[in-house]
Amino acid sequence: MSNAVQVKNLSKSFKIPHEKLETLRGSFVSIFKRKTHETFKALDNISFSIKKGEFFGILGRNGSGKSTLLKILASIYEPDKGSVKINGQISPFLELGVGFNPELSGRDNIHLNAAILGLTPDQIKRKFDQIVAFSELERFLDQKLKNYSSGMQVRLAFSVAIHADKDILLMDEVLAVGDSNFQKKCLDEFNKYRRAGKTVILVTHDTDIVKKYCDQALLLRKGRIKTMGSARQTANEYIFQNMSDEEKRLFEQVESQENQRNQLSPGKSGWLKDIAKIKKIEFLNPKGKSQKAFQTGDDIIIRLHYQTRQPIEKPVFGVSLDAGDGTHIVGPNTQKSSRAPKLIDGSGFVDLVIKENPLNLGLYFVTAGLFNKDNTLTYDFKSKKHSFKIITIDESQDGPIKINFYWKEKQ
Amino acid sequence: MAEKNIKNRQNYSHLIWTLAKTDFKMRYHGSVLGYIWAILKPLFLFLILNFVFSQVIGRGAGIPHYSLQLITGLILWNFFAEGTMAGLTSFISKANIVTKIYFPRWIVIIASTLNSLLVFLASLIIMIGFFIFYGVHPSPVEILTAAFYIFGIYILIFSFSLIAAPLYLKFRDLAQIWEVLTQALFFAAPIIYPLSILPEKYHKLVLLNPMGILIHYSKIVLIEHRFPGFDNHLILITLVLSLLAAGLIFFNKKEKRIAENI
Repeated sequence: MSNAVQVKNLSKSFKIPHEKLETLRGSFVSIFKRKTHETFKALDNISFSIKKGEFFGILGRNGSGKSTLLKILASIYEPDKGSVKINGQISPFLELGVGFNPELSGRDNIHLNAAILGLTPDQIKRKFDQIVAFSELERFLDQKLKNYSSGMQVRLAFSVAIHADKDILLMDEVLAVGDSNFQKKCLDEFNKYRRAGKTVILVTHDTDIVKKYCDQALLLRKGRIKTMGSARQTANEYIFQNMSDEEKRLFEQVESQENQRNQLSPGKSGWLKDIAKIKKIEFLNPKGKSQKAFQTGDDIIIRLHYQTRQPIEKPVFGVSLDAGDGTHIVGPNTQKSSRAPKLIDGSGFVDLVIKENPLNLGLYFVTAGLFNKDNTLTYDFKSKKHSFKIITIDESQDGPIKINFYWKEKQ
Repeated sequence: MAEKNIKNRQNYSHLIWTLAKTDFKMRYHGSVLGYIWAILKPLFLFLILNFVFSQVIGRGAGIPHYSLQLITGLILWNFFAEGTMAGLTSFISKANIVTKIYFPRWIVIIASTLNSLLVFLASLIIMIGFFIFYGVHPSPVEILTAAFYIFGIYILIFSFSLIAAPLYLKFRDLAQIWEVLTQALFFAAPIIYPLSILPEKYHKLVLLNPMGILIHYSKIVLIEHRFPGFDNHLILITLVLSLLAAGLIFFNKKEKRIAENI
């Protein structure tokens, strides 16, 4: 059998009572009331399999069902429907050291944690020195755990978990606490694990780790599998999912700011829009198909649809492009362009064509404005209301733009 | 497969022992007298009750070895009261383990109640001291018989915990209710009085309480050097075993959802 984990049509829901009945009195009283509870579907018909020796990532936002899935894999929770087949022994690592006791010394905690993870006294005796060496905590071994930093606790916990030497290692979001040095050490250890034909399942928010180390990954959203496949592809999908949520948030923010402004000066808003306005902003590919995501190097057409009540001579259209973090990239306008419209009347559109865009992976906001010929009058101004995404295959560069470069060495 | 099972059982016994040891260590952690408290607590209770009943009320006077009877009853009762409370709250006090990793859930109950057994064994020192002081020397057979009763008490604690621990997750009042009930049961069991001072018609009633029987028989065997007779044991064993069976059946049903309900 080559599958380490096989999950079929797995569903799990939780009943969340509107008022938690924790006392007898509460439940006596509630006999006479209609019981109300919501059913929360934490996992909804999920199927996937993980091969032996695979480094598998599980991505998802808070509340997407990640932890529930992990707890079912670790058989802490019982599934409602579906089946979970685990081929081999699991070493679950859902928190900093299961059963760690702050009042005990590091040494006692190693014994305790190892016993909980199912090591026999013999195994513990044999591996004790290795565990201590890996954690690099020799000097602190007889101090109480409560005097350890959280990073030190993770190191200790991780060392025990990795030396439990089970077939499947289940890891929940713990690497975040260690310093980068130790993180690297852990990940190298994962790789060793994998080479030994063992399976590592990692739940994380860190898309970089997923891209770098995982073979396959799964993205959960609201209890369902959104994407499953290569780690890179899944991680990118997760980045975009977060971006579009971020986009929504920013959009709402801008909207409410604008509303506030309108409320503050009701007379001023809109009167110029009666003369001319930007009705719509579209992003198109060279074939004229509207889309929201492009790849680095694609041609991008930003189309501004306008409408006027009266003819406007030599109007100025301007577009500003900003990166998701607010960095201003570029702001072309039609004032000095030879192809600028001479006169607009009624409705129509102008296109800003970006040839072979140099933008890097990320979300970009577009601000568009329509002004009179000397730029003294603003007809319409749409600030960061629209955005598009850039997907990129080569992720060797960071920052908002990509340049063509190479290194040359003087012989 | 069979081999794997055996291996697992070994692991569990190590796990149970480690958990119980940790509990025992943590229990008097930070206190100056430490483990000595395990012995002192029943001793102080003895001193108070002994004073009240032999001096103030004057009951103790006519009863042979009243002090010995009292301390024996108190220590056995203390074992039961502490054990059931530890078992009742075991999942909550070990929530950080139960919700993070899987192993058969009864292990948590065994480990928690085992801690009370350790405390009980420590307080046996006092009982032995009293027996030597009063010059009462039970024979090895009588000691073995008493050990059998003590084992019975542990089975009672375990059976109770199998039912109460999962219920406690949903009804947190149970701890308070049980505390009051143990108070009442304390007076219903022949601890501060020997069974013989009650009118004959109440004997059967007292002996309906399995803890009552176990304490009564322990005292008879150890102090009065009498054996209570086989017929009575049949009832006792049936009672204890049916409680255990009920506990196991109930626990088996509830086990799967324990982590979710915490």
